[in-house]
Amino acid sequence: MKTPTIRLTVNAEAREWSIAPGDLLLDVLRRQGYFGAKRGCERGECGACTVLVDGKAINSCLMFAAQADGREVLTIEGLARAGELDPLQAAFLDHGAVQCGYCTPGMILAAKALLDKNPNPSEAEVREAMTGNYCRCTGYVKPVEAVLAAARRSSGAVEKTVGRLVRLPHLKAMRRKR
Amino acid sequence: MFDQVEAFYRPRTIRQAVRLLHEGGKRARIVAGGTDVIVEADPSIRTLVDITQLGLSYIRKVGNSWTIGATTTMAELEDSAAIRGLAGGILAKAAAACGSVQMRNMATLGGNLANGSPAADTAPPLLALEASVVLEGARGRRTLPLAEFFSAPGRTALGKELLVEIVAPTPARGGRRGWAFLKFGRTESDISVVSVAAGLQLDARGACKAARIAMGAVAPTPLGMPGAEAILTGAQLTAERMAQACERVARDVSPIDDVRAPAEYRREVARVLAGRALRECAQQAGVTL
Repeated sequence: MKTPTIRLTVNAEAREWSIAPGDLLLDVLRRQGYFGAKRGCERGECGACTVLVDGKAINSCLMFAAQADGREVLTIEGLARAGELDPLQAAFLDHGAVQCGYCTPGMILAAKALLDKNPNPSEAEVREAMTGNYCRCTGYVKPVEAVLAAARRSSGAVEKTVGRLVRLPHLKAMRRKR
Repeated sequence: MFDQVEAFYRPRTIRQAVRLLHEGGKRARIVAGGTDVIVEADPSIRTLVDITQLGLSYIRKVGNSWTIGATTTMAELEDSAAIRGLAGGILAKAAAACGSVQMRNMATLGGNLANGSPAADTAPPLLALEASVVLEGARGRRTLPLAEFFSAPGRTALGKELLVEIVAPTPARGGRRGWAFLKFGRTESDISVVSVAAGLQLDARGACKAARIAMGAVAPTPLGMPGAEAILTGAQLTAERMAQACERVARDVSPIDDVRAPAEYRREVARVLAGRALRECAQQAGVTL
């Protein structure tokens, strides 16, 4: 039952890859051109290699590629839709939360996993969710602000939608703007 | 990093997994969450046997016990209402203390125990709960108290066997009880310098009917503290008694010097942390000291 071939979904596209038995998911992703998954500490401490597998944030340096067979992987390359940045990506830019950028894909994906589960996190919850993502340039204040702003923006929109359900024209205008 | 690995197996049954483990001999390694196996990067590994497809991710009530499959992740434990409700949630708290979110989404309960680390955070709560482990090999299953599972740093009672599940008896409800899990490390997600799980049961007059104390990172294995428990059991719960029990804890631990802390510091932290845990238990049981 060797697994020389894995079939998986990467950024909503079906993929079939030949791998070596000892390949790590990070190695295979980078070999296949997903350079948003960064090679950092290679021992699960820095979080630069973070990707989502079945919606959960994991360190791709600590998962054998063979274990990704049959699963859904999301890398930073799959986050923007039709050229439109994800609200988290936009918030990282707006808040100056990117310096060298090496930790950014991992931070944004860790934050996405959090917001998918908990759309209105407290600052403490954001910090807890990003404990596994190191920044060696500046720090964490701007990224945390960015995540909280993205959460406010998304959940604010939901509140408005709920509050103004009867005023459909307004909603349509909002959608067009986005 | 694992260029020398010749085969990666994903068996569907425990029997297959055990057979693959036998066939691979010394060069075969079990992998589940990967957070230890990959970091250790043992160059002698030729065969990897992935046990995540065996259906061992579950949390079930069986009779009067909670049975937890070996590949249940730390994230699943901390999110489980059942585990959060078991003994003041000490096992859920310990699982939530095992590194970052990314780590906890991968790391498994079985791996945390089978790795044999003296600092395994889930070990003290499971020792305090008097849990057992179920091991399966070619000759069938055996059940072992967790206290007999650990033998030395990185060594356990596992032969060519799989750790299949962990069984934690449900402590009786009602009465005056308290439970606590505390961990002391350099940062919140770092490995423990000292960890402790404690439980107290008091009678109506405030005398201690039962006491459980177990500690991590203070000896070659995670360790119960029967000496300190005996000092508390049967006695009126007073600040003096608890201080005596903590002195006994400090005497009974045998920590080492390492990069994180010197032995004497660990001994002192063990005394202080055990005291904090016992006070937390006492408070929950309605005793103010």
